[in-house]
Amino acid sequence: MSESTPFRAAAAGRPVAISIRNVSQRFGDAGSPNEVVAVDDMSLDVRRGEFVCLLGPSGCGKSTLLNIVGGLFPATDGVVMVGDKPVKGPLPRDISFVFQESTLFPWYTIRENFDVAFKFQNVAKSEWASRTKQALEAVNMGAFIDHYPNQLSVGMRQRVNLARGIALGTDIILMDEPFAALDEQTRMVLGEDLSELLAKTGKTIVFVTHSLAEAVFLSDRIFVMTARPGRIKSIIEVDEPHPRSPDFMLTPKFSELRNQAYALLRDEVRQAIALAREAEAAHA
Amino acid sequence: MTVAAARVPAASTPSFIGGMSRRAKVIWTRRLVLLGLVVAFEIYARFIGNPRLFSPPSAIVYALFDEILVDPRIRGAIYQAFTEVLVAYVMAIIIGLVVGLSVGWSNFGRRSFYPIVILLYAIPQVILLPLFVLTFGIGPACKIAFGVSHGIFPIIVNVVAGMRNVNALYLRSASSMGASNFDLARHVYFPHMVPSLFAGLRLGMTLTLLGVILAELYVSTGGIGYWTKLYAETFDPAPLFALIAVLAVMAILLNELVRIAERRFTRWRN
Repeated sequence: MSESTPFRAAAAGRPVAISIRNVSQRFGDAGSPNEVVAVDDMSLDVRRGEFVCLLGPSGCGKSTLLNIVGGLFPATDGVVMVGDKPVKGPLPRDISFVFQESTLFPWYTIRENFDVAFKFQNVAKSEWASRTKQALEAVNMGAFIDHYPNQLSVGMRQRVNLARGIALGTDIILMDEPFAALDEQTRMVLGEDLSELLAKTGKTIVFVTHSLAEAVFLSDRIFVMTARPGRIKSIIEVDEPHPRSPDFMLTPKFSELRNQAYALLRDEVRQAIALAREAEAAHA
Repeated sequence: MTVAAARVPAASTPSFIGGMSRRAKVIWTRRLVLLGLVVAFEIYARFIGNPRLFSPPSAIVYALFDEILVDPRIRGAIYQAFTEVLVAYVMAIIIGLVVGLSVGWSNFGRRSFYPIVILLYAIPQVILLPLFVLTFGIGPACKIAFGVSHGIFPIIVNVVAGMRNVNALYLRSASSMGASNFDLARHVYFPHMVPSLFAGLRLGMTLTLLGVILAELYVSTGGIGYWTKLYAETFDPAPLFALIAVLAVMAILLNELVRIAERRFTRWRN
């Protein structure tokens, strides 16, 4: 491992790709009892080429933050900068999303799905075919180009979905629990593939998850979030170069980091459950 | 069982029905039912029914070729009716889609305008026919307008219904890739609402036809409605039924067109 520089150290010197400054998000009318503070005054920087994970209990506002960064809806307060641009709406040239469930349109074949994505993004038509082919081959799905998504398994679909995110060619990819719907084994394999793809392409990734193992295995830095309202509780650095082999998961370092993350998260998860119970009682 | 014995029944199936596939059986049953109905109609009209009100199918077919299709005035009337229906239908689709899409686009739009649409839909338009005549005269414009007024409602209602429950993630994903509102309509809303849309298009087609024919019957000076009325009032059922058959063929033709279009757009479901 001596020939590869530690990833974090390399990333530390790089320019900031995403800067999140004092971002808050409230839902419902201000001051009213149904007001929910989803994200509370969060600030963080993501450096170029860094893989950052937002780890937190359900409902802690991590997906909300991701949507704000991607310009899908405006923050109640605060500013997000991508490069030197403030985010005011979607930035299809800079940011692509990979969502929780496969967001391939069921009415289009895989090829048509890629085509329409390129069309949305205004990519020159001459590039469509080659980029589609290249991305699908990177995830070993080249043979399924003319299938409809419904003809594929959930795992294959998410593989294609990942390929689409990469094919869009943006420097930043935001991933909202992309592997949540997959079984443990598929999830591991896709995680390894992702780590490898990233090492090759050097993308900046913000990844939302509530899987501890996934967070430790993939991230350079893990932002552990508090239960609602979402704040940053702590930052864990994972000093391990990409691509990471599955052997990394067997090392003491991995278990140590995983335990550290769990210790930080445990109380927040309990609090999130209590909050959910409270909300339910209030409704009843 | 010996091999020879097993072969015998398979080799000797002279029975017509037994040798057919299930699908062929269905088709032949259907044909036989239709044939039976025609024969029953023929017998009833020839021997039992009042010849001024009923006409046997054989006489209707004869009238179709001897009276209806040879008369240039009636041919003109059929052609005109067909054009009216077609124009009215195309207009109903365009207006229905535009109104439906704009009403169904947002929760706000749906809650503000949808009840109004439903309210208008509930009014029996026939009572407004005199107003249509006053506004559009007694020419084709009146029939087209009346057809449109019938056809748009099921289209609007089904477009609005079809736009509900679009997976929000599809919309979010498309927006993040830079999709414009038009892109969203074309690539997300439209494919999502296709089944509902086509239900609306088919209903809309039937109602457009109804609207046009209704207007034709009430106000017509030489159109298909005029001829229908003429034959009915002079107790001449053969050409009357022949004319009705022509209208039926028109309806079936248009319905088939919609069905073919539907199949084209729902290939991904299979």
